[in-house]
Amino acid sequence: MNYFIIGYYAMLIGASCVAAYFKNRQAFLLIFTLTLVSFVMGLIGGESVLWSVTVAAGLIAASAGIAYSFREFLIIILPKQGAKTMRTAPLTASFGLFVVIIYVIAAVFAPVIAPFGQAEVVGTSFAPPDDKMLLGADQLGRDMFSRIIYGARNTMGLSLMTTAIAYLMGCVLGMLAAVRGGWLDQFLGRLVDVIMSIPSLIFALLLLSIFGTQLYILVLVIAFIYTPYVFRLSRAVAGNIVVMDYIEAARLRGEGTWHLITREVLPNAMAPLVAEFGLRFCFVFLLVAGLSFLGLGIQPPTADWGSMVRENATLISFGEITPLIPAAAIALLTVSINFIVDWMLYLSAGLKD
Amino acid sequence: MAREKSVLLEIKDLHIEGRVDEKWIEIVHGVDLTLHRGEVLGLIGESGAGKSTIGLAAMGFARDGCRISGGSIEFDGMELTSTPESDLRVLRGSRIAYVAQSAAASFNPSHKIIDQYTEAPVQYRIRKRMESQEDAIELYRRLRLPNPDEIGFRYPHQVSGGQLQRAMTAMAMSCRPDLIIFDEPTTALDVTTQIEVLAAIRDIVDQFNTAAIYITHDLAVVAQMADTIKVLLKGDEVEQADTRTMLDSPQEEYTKSLWAVRSFRSAQKTPADPSETPVVSMKNVDAAYGDIKVLEDISFDIHSGRTVAVVGESGSGKSTAARCITGLLPPTSGTIEFKGEVLPASYKDRTKDQLRQAQMIYQMADTALNPKKRISEIIGRPAAFYGNLKGADLKKRVDELLDLIELEPRQFYERFPAELSGGQKQRIGIARALAADPTFIICDEVTSALDQLVAEGILRLLDNLQQELNLAYMFITHDLATVRAIADEVVVMKDGRIIEKGPKDEMFTPPHDPYTDLLLSSVPEMDPDWLTTLLEERGVDNVGEAARDHQS
Repeated sequence: MNYFIIGYYAMLIGASCVAAYFKNRQAFLLIFTLTLVSFVMGLIGGESVLWSVTVAAGLIAASAGIAYSFREFLIIILPKQGAKTMRTAPLTASFGLFVVIIYVIAAVFAPVIAPFGQAEVVGTSFAPPDDKMLLGADQLGRDMFSRIIYGARNTMGLSLMTTAIAYLMGCVLGMLAAVRGGWLDQFLGRLVDVIMSIPSLIFALLLLSIFGTQLYILVLVIAFIYTPYVFRLSRAVAGNIVVMDYIEAARLRGEGTWHLITREVLPNAMAPLVAEFGLRFCFVFLLVAGLSFLGLGIQPPTADWGSMVRENATLISFGEITPLIPAAAIALLTVSINFIVDWMLYLSAGLKD
Repeated sequence: MAREKSVLLEIKDLHIEGRVDEKWIEIVHGVDLTLHRGEVLGLIGESGAGKSTIGLAAMGFARDGCRISGGSIEFDGMELTSTPESDLRVLRGSRIAYVAQSAAASFNPSHKIIDQYTEAPVQYRIRKRMESQEDAIELYRRLRLPNPDEIGFRYPHQVSGGQLQRAMTAMAMSCRPDLIIFDEPTTALDVTTQIEVLAAIRDIVDQFNTAAIYITHDLAVVAQMADTIKVLLKGDEVEQADTRTMLDSPQEEYTKSLWAVRSFRSAQKTPADPSETPVVSMKNVDAAYGDIKVLEDISFDIHSGRTVAVVGESGSGKSTAARCITGLLPPTSGTIEFKGEVLPASYKDRTKDQLRQAQMIYQMADTALNPKKRISEIIGRPAAFYGNLKGADLKKRVDELLDLIELEPRQFYERFPAELSGGQKQRIGIARALAADPTFIICDEVTSALDQLVAEGILRLLDNLQQELNLAYMFITHDLATVRAIADEVVVMKDGRIIEKGPKDEMFTPPHDPYTDLLLSSVPEMDPDWLTTLLEERGVDNVGEAARDHQS
């Protein structure tokens, strides 16, 4: 028995008593369950398990704290309308927003933040972390931290561009199909079915090995692969809108197809499309990372999270967590975006108009 | 008899709050209500009066975003506001039942009707499944549903709306509740179907001595159903009295105004000169959806400055006729002439000017206005599109139009449709049609989704506009009170054919085609004995079935 373990249990039991005293059912159940689980885990795993529980709880509490204060911050600085929306936002959403903003700052100001260039060799290979290199060096002796910062820029920029292109094509075609109907709808619909019937990763590998791995080809190929998904969504959303009386009124007025799409249908389809944008961005992001891991994505020496995982994969057998850092960066971004998307879906479903 | 007259439900000083923008706003301000066993209480008022909210509160239930904030609800000696949710749930369904406005939306489409009937009795262990099924069939028979032995084994989409509403009433009776709450059970039905459902509800409530709260905005309906009537306005009680007193001598101004709504009549116009070219003329039009023929040999004329009302039940083809005129559904044969000129069959082939001349006003203002556009954009677009108006000219025109529909321009210019009331939305719909500067407007059930007072305002507005701008209206409706108010000529349709047409005065004086008579006599009147008398006159139990036999 040492002070840590005594303190650990004392705190848990004390907290359960406080929760019970204030009749906070949920908090009490959570804390007391944790206490009971800790008894079992402590007996089996010893002190180290209790340490990791403490660290995990600390991390969650810190994230919640960041999310809470960031939300308050946004409520203060945003104009009235935005502040009102933020006030009802769940903590997960403000946490997601916070992470995404940090990533965006890292991507935009990469050369300022990163101490070294992305292709600059500054140390020995697999050098351990020190004052100069915060996260150590990779297999060629390049600074890991700098490469992660640059990776945010490369991987995220590429995914954003790709998703935007996929959206532009998918939305225009999908809404055209919904508004026009008839043979155009049938033709586009079946074409999309054909493209979607091919597994996306294999299709991407195929196209990239035909056309080469230049950056613009990579962008176009992935955009092409994801266009059908956007097409299907926007067609379905627009399909529900084009049967409304105000569309009929606009048609009877003699409005052209372009006006119908941009002025009548699109404003009403925005909420689900934007939510889907976030989700689609994650998929594209993961596909880019996956392709890079396979060696067909972003080419070296450009820093990119997917290829960084692959390059440092050997280290995992030595018990080093270095390859997990870019993987964690990918995971954190994906989770954060999903938090935001969930919130937006909730908002769009709960809107009164 | 002492037991019969005992108080079943007593609501005292009920306050209900609704959540708006994170604030609680009171929507029901202290309403008292007493209901004895076997008594039927009619709750009437405009939308937003709190009728449904009070109806639900009688079950101890508040909708999402609402809460009961004060007062007491005592049901048979039990205080509902302090009863735990689990006990309330047992109470609802077994001792208090609820019949919703739209049976079609309230039945689960993937279960058979009778399975939904037996669910509650089986769950509360009141009856075994087989017993309950027999009971259902017995009730279906009493409610005079066709084929009572077999109808329950169909799915909800396989029976008609009126039958479904009766099946739902049967379902409400399945546990023999002490109290049933009817929330506008016939509002969505045609007049001829409405009678069947009204008669059925009245019989069943009588037979089982059930107490009922009957919520409706239709005064003539409530006059048939209720023993006492309570009038509500914006969450406050206006007055309460037994039905006859209430109808004969309403005390409050508001009640009087409700009673007076039906008295609006447009000024009688001189009959149109037959030699004058009509604005719109349908000539022997046939139309079909795919292979199914929906219109057969439709011909009628609409003269400038006149209103032609097209009347019929749902499915009679009145809206389809309008779709033919607008060109959304090209006729299979026959022509549509506009001021003597044959119009292209499809709207796609018509010129901008032809499109401009004929405008449409829709039933549901909610779906007819783009929710993401501001009022100025909605009204301004046709003016900009047809008249090429821009900037200050356009703004002036929009202001003019808003003035025309009696809305203050500065107040409404920047709003979104969601920020408007139902009547205001419908006015915007009218302004959008007027913005094109048309000579002919199709009004598709424009008042049927509105409260009577608001609907009357819309009718007056349309009448004024007609006189000012010499517009021709085609007025599609199933409500004969509206026809009486605004029409110059009437066209009666049934199964895609015109049964009869002629000037309004002639149409409202018998004798007529049997169908027209049936339709006219089915419109509820403000006389509490009307339903009883009518049923006796027709000499039948089931008016709907009789009507169908009559035609075939």
